[in-house]
Amino acid sequence: MNPYLKLLGIGLLATFHSAVGIAQSSGDPAKGKEIVAKTCVACHGVDGNGPVPNFPKLAGTDAGYLLKQLREFKNKRRTSEVMEPIAGALSADEMADAAAFFASQKPAPGTVKDPSLLDAGKKLWTDGNPTSGVPACAGCHGDRGQGDERYPRLAGQYSEYTQDQLGQFKSGKRKNDKRQMQAVADRMSEQEIKAVAEYIANLP
Amino acid sequence: MNHLSRFAIPLIVTLLAPAVLAEVEQQPRAPGIETKGYVWNKPDEEKARALKHKADPLKGKAAYKGCQGCHKPDASGRPDDDYPQLAGQHASVLIKQMVDVRAGRRDNPKMHPFVGDWVVSAEDVADIAVYLNSLPTPTNNGKGDGKNLALGKKLYEKDCVGCHGDNGEGDEGKFYPMVTGQHYRYLLRESRQIRDGVRRNAYPKMVTVIKKYSDADLEAVSDYMSRLLPAKAAAK
Repeated sequence: MNPYLKLLGIGLLATFHSAVGIAQSSGDPAKGKEIVAKTCVACHGVDGNGPVPNFPKLAGTDAGYLLKQLREFKNKRRTSEVMEPIAGALSADEMADAAAFFASQKPAPGTVKDPSLLDAGKKLWTDGNPTSGVPACAGCHGDRGQGDERYPRLAGQYSEYTQDQLGQFKSGKRKNDKRQMQAVADRMSEQEIKAVAEYIANLP
Repeated sequence: MNHLSRFAIPLIVTLLAPAVLAEVEQQPRAPGIETKGYVWNKPDEEKARALKHKADPLKGKAAYKGCQGCHKPDASGRPDDDYPQLAGQHASVLIKQMVDVRAGRRDNPKMHPFVGDWVVSAEDVADIAVYLNSLPTPTNNGKGDGKNLALGKKLYEKDCVGCHGDNGEGDEGKFYPMVTGQHYRYLLRESRQIRDGVRRNAYPKMVTVIKKYSDADLEAVSDYMSRLLPAKAAAK
């Protein structure tokens, strides 16, 4: 094959891919609602406020963030025995649609189990732990834990799920975030993890 | 259990354990002032890329999000601890320091996981630096106890003013930091580390100048510096 033609082909392919990439990030929430009702409902609920604390609430989470996670479950950059086959069965468009639907939903408030931990949790959230080098969570996740495309919404999340994810970062099982949360979780004590998870559950 | 597995299991565990622990990136160590032939602010490919980049403060603001958990949204750092104030600092200085932490010429294992090249590019570093430079320098920074300001003034005017300037403004072109608005605790910690050869990306001439300083001298001059006002405010 003529090397110039080959180069042209690669260039065209790259252009095509990036065009598709842009199209994928804006999903259709109406189509997403159907996908969620069929595929996600058992764990995440009809509106992304699932009833089981092992499974994260997704309502109100940024669509770009959710789409990235779905892609990474599919390509195994983020490992989960549960999510891998589910994300693996979704097309790129279906992922974008489901992400857009969850993002459009109203998050339900969380529940606090141990209010005695809230003060310690608040301190970590707003101020971090400068001695061990834990940054304030609010720095990236926002004052109210609202999150954005790069840093997920945390407000109202189940404390069980938050603790599980911090544990996964700490152990190195989860590292699909440029390993920043690994550094953070690695510096947190078990008690700090519990406390901040309670504080997050309490954020409206 | 047979003999093989009795030995094999602990062996496998031992082999796997460091691999798991090694997941958190360790800061590399590059030669610094302790090394013969050390050249301060030596040209470096990454620094050149950052300095050449047409930096965008808006992009820098977005990238700075990953820094503000420690340095605070207004970049004022912490007077009660060792996180420096960064608002209004020269972009050249911020670029040099970030590049030095990335390369391991300035030891900072706390910061390294958030400024490593797998997190931010050389261009992001420049964007962050330009954004921070655009922020107003606060004057409510941490100060010392104010007991030895006369000594601090004398030392500053004798040894420091030539590089750091009358108002502590430093020099963008020469990569000399602005010390105005900086927290006392941070100034003291860094000047100690520079004197003691612990800050490995230090300017050798400064090390020579403050080598003879006692802790009390460093406290006095740090206190004096922490009270310097930006030129505009000082003129009022």
